[in-house]
Amino acid sequence: MSKKLLEIRNLTMKFGGVVALSEVNLHVSEGEIAALIGPNGAGKTTVFNVATGYYTPTAGEILLDNESVVGVKTYKIARKGLARTFQNVRLFGDMTALENVMTGADSKNKVGLLGSMFGTSTSKKDEERSHKKAAELLNFMGISHRAGQLAKNLPYGDQRRLEIARALALEPKVLLLDEPAAGFNPQEKVELGNLIKKIRDAGFAVLLIEHDMSLVMKISDRVSVLDFGQKIAEGTPSEVQKDQKVIDAYLGVADHAS
Amino acid sequence: MDFSILWTDFASLLLDGIVVGAIYALVSLGYTLVYGVLRLINFAHSEIFMLGTFATLGVTMLLGFTGFEEPLGILAFLGVFLLAATVAGVASGSAAMLLEVVAYRRLRRNNANRLSSLISAIGASLFLVEFFRIITDSKDWDFPRLLDKNSLFQVGTAYVTADKIVVLVGAFALMIILDRIIQTTKLGRGIRAVSQDERTSILMGVDVDRVIAFTFLIGGVLAGVGSAFYMLFYEATKFNVGFLLGISAFTAAVLGGIGNIRGALAGSFVLGLIQQFSSAVLGYNWRDVVTFIILVLVLLFKPTGLFGEALQRARV
Amino acid sequence: MSTPSSTNVRFNLRDKFGDWWEGTTRNQRVLFRAAVIVFFFILPFLDNPILGTNESDFSSVLFYPMGMFVIMAIGLNIIVGKSGILDLGYVAFFAIGAYTHAILNLNFGFPFWINVFLGMGFAMLAGLMLGLPALRLRGDYLAIITLGFGEIIRILAINFNFTGGAAGLAGIAAPPTLFGIEFVVDDPKPFYWLLLTLMLLVIWAYLRLVARRPGRAWEAIREDEDVAEFMGVATMKYKLWGFVLGGAVGGAVGAVYAGQVTSITPENFTLQISIMILACVVFGGMGNIWGVALGAALLGYFPEKLRFLSDTRILFFGLLMVVMMNIRPDGIIPRKKREKVYDKNTGQEVTR
Repeated sequence: MSKKLLEIRNLTMKFGGVVALSEVNLHVSEGEIAALIGPNGAGKTTVFNVATGYYTPTAGEILLDNESVVGVKTYKIARKGLARTFQNVRLFGDMTALENVMTGADSKNKVGLLGSMFGTSTSKKDEERSHKKAAELLNFMGISHRAGQLAKNLPYGDQRRLEIARALALEPKVLLLDEPAAGFNPQEKVELGNLIKKIRDAGFAVLLIEHDMSLVMKISDRVSVLDFGQKIAEGTPSEVQKDQKVIDAYLGVADHAS
Repeated sequence: MDFSILWTDFASLLLDGIVVGAIYALVSLGYTLVYGVLRLINFAHSEIFMLGTFATLGVTMLLGFTGFEEPLGILAFLGVFLLAATVAGVASGSAAMLLEVVAYRRLRRNNANRLSSLISAIGASLFLVEFFRIITDSKDWDFPRLLDKNSLFQVGTAYVTADKIVVLVGAFALMIILDRIIQTTKLGRGIRAVSQDERTSILMGVDVDRVIAFTFLIGGVLAGVGSAFYMLFYEATKFNVGFLLGISAFTAAVLGGIGNIRGALAGSFVLGLIQQFSSAVLGYNWRDVVTFIILVLVLLFKPTGLFGEALQRARV
Repeated sequence: MSTPSSTNVRFNLRDKFGDWWEGTTRNQRVLFRAAVIVFFFILPFLDNPILGTNESDFSSVLFYPMGMFVIMAIGLNIIVGKSGILDLGYVAFFAIGAYTHAILNLNFGFPFWINVFLGMGFAMLAGLMLGLPALRLRGDYLAIITLGFGEIIRILAINFNFTGGAAGLAGIAAPPTLFGIEFVVDDPKPFYWLLLTLMLLVIWAYLRLVARRPGRAWEAIREDEDVAEFMGVATMKYKLWGFVLGGAVGGAVGAVYAGQVTSITPENFTLQISIMILACVVFGGMGNIWGVALGAALLGYFPEKLRFLSDTRILFFGLLMVVMMNIRPDGIIPRKKREKVYDKNTGQEVTR
């Protein structure tokens, strides 16, 4: 059994009287692509928001590389190794593609504000590191030619790729992808699938929220299914596909699941 | 510091706190209503109030009052004051609607960021203050005494005077009218709908532009009539009268949970009382420092206001 | 072959200059910078009736309002333009700097040159004390808090005894002679040079910051604070730095102001100043230091110069803010960067 990098134990999240997540257990192991699926409103994005510290859970534990991150500030969790993308692309629109990625890469740097102002040797090294890292990642995602363009002017597909590059710049232990294939055509989805595998092979564990079942089934090593804030199934893609509870959960929303 | 005044003057401080709170309430409703539909603080609202004070004054000047007359009889007073309050309400209401068109509408249509809308409103506010500074010659303007302010009767240490009764009765009547408008009319329902969820309201066929214009109108009219009560009670105005009153009214709105109408009313009375009692001890020149500290504390520790729960329901 | 992604590029002063600048060599740049700096230092000698205004000569106008507006707008720009904090009480920092010099000089005989730094320090401290709790709030709430802060500082100055109350403080010392340059009340030139030196320092620090990590962090925060936080940006820390650094500029300028006018009252530090400086930032282009400097210089100069504007200046400032936000929210020189277009195959920049 390989090491669990992200482990969520008995996670419960309530908003006022509404229970968004109830006693959810999830984990992501080293070197795997885990998928989180479920009908709309099942609480998938809430899992991301709680894991990254945006919401404080009502109950439960979140361990990042065996270290509890409940109550830790969002930016610190990000620096400890949990990076994410967003369901609707959220880039820094008025910054260039390169700067977007550099902003992520900066989080690994030591230099402070005064160091930057006086141009200490650390600051110069760090600037170079961020720049180099960002250029590498743009290349890795196949969008080097967009480096100097403003993020908001990029074509949609490249914006999605840029968002992943920016998250990877944090050198995360686990990369959280929130519906990365949304709005893609079948050809683009295949390319994205390969890209996610390439990211896994580069040494990042991935937790993927996705509605496109064929993509999920093709690339994930393990699938968890959420319905009404509860985990109803977990297993390999083929096991989950046969699970009666999963079929029932999706029957009502078959249109969305295709 | 002399705390004994809190006991010896308790009744009079209580009465004045409630009267001041009633005036704040009428102004703070404008902040809260506009915040409900736009999710923005209308920075120029205080100037809408200021404009109302001058409209009130203008009516009495046109009627030939100089300030040296004998106070009016009750019927004559009601006639004059109703006229002044109406004119002030109309003036402030139309100014508020104009403000919405000039400073907000285009930005809203272009989906401009909040910062732009705030700056636009601040610019409008600055313009109005300066405009009135110039045309009123930077002077303090006195309002003629329309009503005999001798004590009618005494409750404890509180001298109950006619102007205080007029303010309280008038303000409560307006609050009830407002409540009816919001609860029963079509546009009132529109305000509630847009406050809860603008996008869904549009889908349900609510004309958001009209609702927003109507919200500014109501807020403006209330501030205008409130300004008439203010003039009756304080009997003076100046071009910068809106600023501190605006801060107080805004604090009251935040205290009650901004966006929450009944909260704004409660917040106004609470603030009015706090101000009266704290000024009695610390001195009147610390009143605004106290107000500001309350504002900061509420925003920092309970940004949903005293009635946070109701607010949550109103907004989600 | 590649096609430029944005075909309808509007004429833009910033781009024209940017194109030219990128084509220059290192030596040319040094020469250009030196020439600009020298030009601004000899500017007061161009004193003549055509450039002067009805009330005062050109070198006076250069110090106040032009120089003061420019440097305060640059300071406020760090707060509003870079960190995205709508500060309506910037005058508070200015007041703290001015009162620091006044009080320490009158009571303890501290000289101006020490008080400039102390004024800066106290302004930063005040920024920290207000910012730590308040910067957790967003947008309009924060705007109201800063507005209240500006007013409270003024009200405190009226209410306290050691600030001289409503009458203020008089007889504040001008800066002692430095490098043979005497600071006397009837010659504004040395004060202008002092401001200019301060300005150069601020611009130097600012340009370094924005080109590096802090600049990216600020921009990310302004674009989307939540996402910045998700990307590991310590948003609170950078907002606080922005607030405090902007405050430091205000504090230093306040001390210079007190040293020049030698008497101050609370009425020198009204809300109107905060808003006027904000108008300069907005007019020039939030987030672009050159736009802000140009905007502030124009707004400092023309209302003084043009008689029909001088009496109705504030009116004009208010109107300008509404109009700018409605038709050109990015200001006269927008902050947005030039779009560079790259060739798909070679990765080389395509020249238009």
